[in-house]
Amino acid sequence: MKRLGLLYLAAQNLKRKPFRSFVTIAIVGLAAGTLFSATLLVKSVDRSLEVGLERLGADVMVMPEGSQEPGEAALLTGSPTSFYMEESVLDQVRAVPGVSQASPQLFIETLVSSQCCTGYLQLVGYEPATDFVVEPWLRQNLNRPLEEDEVVVGSLILANKGEHVHFYGKDFSVAGVLDTTGMGADESVFLRLDDAYEMAVESAAVADDELLITPGQISSVLVKIDRDTNSDLVAQRIRTGVAGVSVITADDLSRSVTDRISGFKRGFIALDAIVWVMSLLTIAAIFSMIVNERQREIGLIRAMGGTRNFIFRLMLAEALLLTAIGGAAGVFLGGSALFIFKTVITSSLGIPYLWPPMWYFGSMIGGTLMLSVATGAIASLYPALSSSRLEPYLAIRRGE
Amino acid sequence: MATEQETITNVEKAGETEGPVINLKDLSKTYKVGPNTVRAVESLSLEIPRGQMVSIVGHSGSGKTTLLSLIGGLTKPSSGRVLLEGNNIWNLTDKELSRLRNERVGFAFQFASLFPTLNAIDNVRLPATFGNSGAADDGNRAMDLLGLVGLKSRAHSYPAMLSGGEQRRVALARTLMNRPRIILADEPSGDLDEDTEADILEIFKRINEEGVTIVIVTHSRAVASQAQRMLRMHRGHLFEELE
Repeated sequence: MKRLGLLYLAAQNLKRKPFRSFVTIAIVGLAAGTLFSATLLVKSVDRSLEVGLERLGADVMVMPEGSQEPGEAALLTGSPTSFYMEESVLDQVRAVPGVSQASPQLFIETLVSSQCCTGYLQLVGYEPATDFVVEPWLRQNLNRPLEEDEVVVGSLILANKGEHVHFYGKDFSVAGVLDTTGMGADESVFLRLDDAYEMAVESAAVADDELLITPGQISSVLVKIDRDTNSDLVAQRIRTGVAGVSVITADDLSRSVTDRISGFKRGFIALDAIVWVMSLLTIAAIFSMIVNERQREIGLIRAMGGTRNFIFRLMLAEALLLTAIGGAAGVFLGGSALFIFKTVITSSLGIPYLWPPMWYFGSMIGGTLMLSVATGAIASLYPALSSSRLEPYLAIRRGE
Repeated sequence: MATEQETITNVEKAGETEGPVINLKDLSKTYKVGPNTVRAVESLSLEIPRGQMVSIVGHSGSGKTTLLSLIGGLTKPSSGRVLLEGNNIWNLTDKELSRLRNERVGFAFQFASLFPTLNAIDNVRLPATFGNSGAADDGNRAMDLLGLVGLKSRAHSYPAMLSGGEQRRVALARTLMNRPRIILADEPSGDLDEDTEADILEIFKRINEEGVTIVIVTHSRAVASQAQRMLRMHRGHLFEELE
């Protein structure tokens, strides 16, 4: 027959008032879930920015005047967009002091529900000779440049290597799938600039709608700066030296995302602080009630030979059990909610998203559980201590 | 009611000590109730030798239950000493006093004192949780004791499923769980029907014959008359009752 251990007795006691136990678990779960999901979300956005901007490799991005907002959306979330400027901008940018490399990109929105297009997404034409976004990946993974009528696709595009996709009536072979970045590149298809122009020319004959791009038009210029300068300075020089363009730096992009989630972050911090304080007070109140209700039992345990220390540990064990269950439930539900509503949250806030590595998940789960249990320990400390100090005789008499 | 012939308490194996098993010296206990001081026990001295069954009678509020709690170390005297088997219990640490209560003293209360979330056998086993006995033995011992009080078949019933009398019998089995050498019973048969009262007294007599010292606080003359020695408590003082 198994021994009636401390945890068993604590668990039996908690079953006595299931609704009260449930409420405590729910409050701790809410606090833990909010903390877990909010921290995970912020970390995922940060990681996505880190990985995405590193992949983008550009310090400064030049776009047509007035197209900064859709441009940012395309870079961050892959939201399809198209805007164009003349190729001459590229040469003007290259001439700006501090610019080390400049490479053009062409953004093409594919057609919605059209037989000539595989899906509604963002096509990005790049110039193989100058590119520093796709080419390094190709060199590392494909060991060759992209050939005519080939594309590489972002990790969220439903196409595998070797499959065929078609845009504006033109057929392309998928040469590879890029690594996940959490940013717009995951939902974009990359093709050679020449192929994009050729697709535009042919679209008049084979697509449902003609792609109205003149060869030579570009959407953006990605810039790498010299090591001995800074991106803000180069951006400023481009703004003053090149007419009709908007200029954003990688830092601007990062700041823009940070700004977008700052309200969200503040809201979560405030909400979480309120819920943690609530859970602390609730647990303290509930355990004071428990001590009061169970005075006779506490006295009986003491009469049977239970030490003060046993009573203290029993009360603490009940609190720790409740808060550990609450913390685990919160982690599970918060994580699940984030997983389910991730797309809604990221698209409504216009932020990139990349799940953090497993070790981070593990430490977050551990940290949240520890915080939950610590809350239980702190909140129940006084009631547990006072219960252990009750004189057995008085406790039995008061409980009668 | 079971009629097992083996000993219930094994007191003989516990070893004898010299002198009275319960020795109260000039014991007083006062309480503050609002602005008033209540003298529940006043300058009381008492010696009870090993194996004696003593009953204490008296009116409500005469200090009987307080005296029992003082003997069992459940409340600290305002002055005086309580010696159990020669140990001044208030010189012991909490751990030592708890161990003494666990191993040597069994309390039987006047109310149904079972834990509602534990079934009958677990309620009986509970005192062993605070001691050092083995888990397997605990189960067998608890089952034997439930047999002794005639409730073996209700071993897995929860208190809510038991009648008041059955709950009291389970509580009595629990009192005997750790083979106590001293039993302190506060109205052990109060509110019970005659048959159950007789059964419980029969068990007390049997364990007393095995050498267990028993102190019973009671209102009932019938119960008190079963003891070898009867004491009367009046306003915190104790008097020998001569039949």
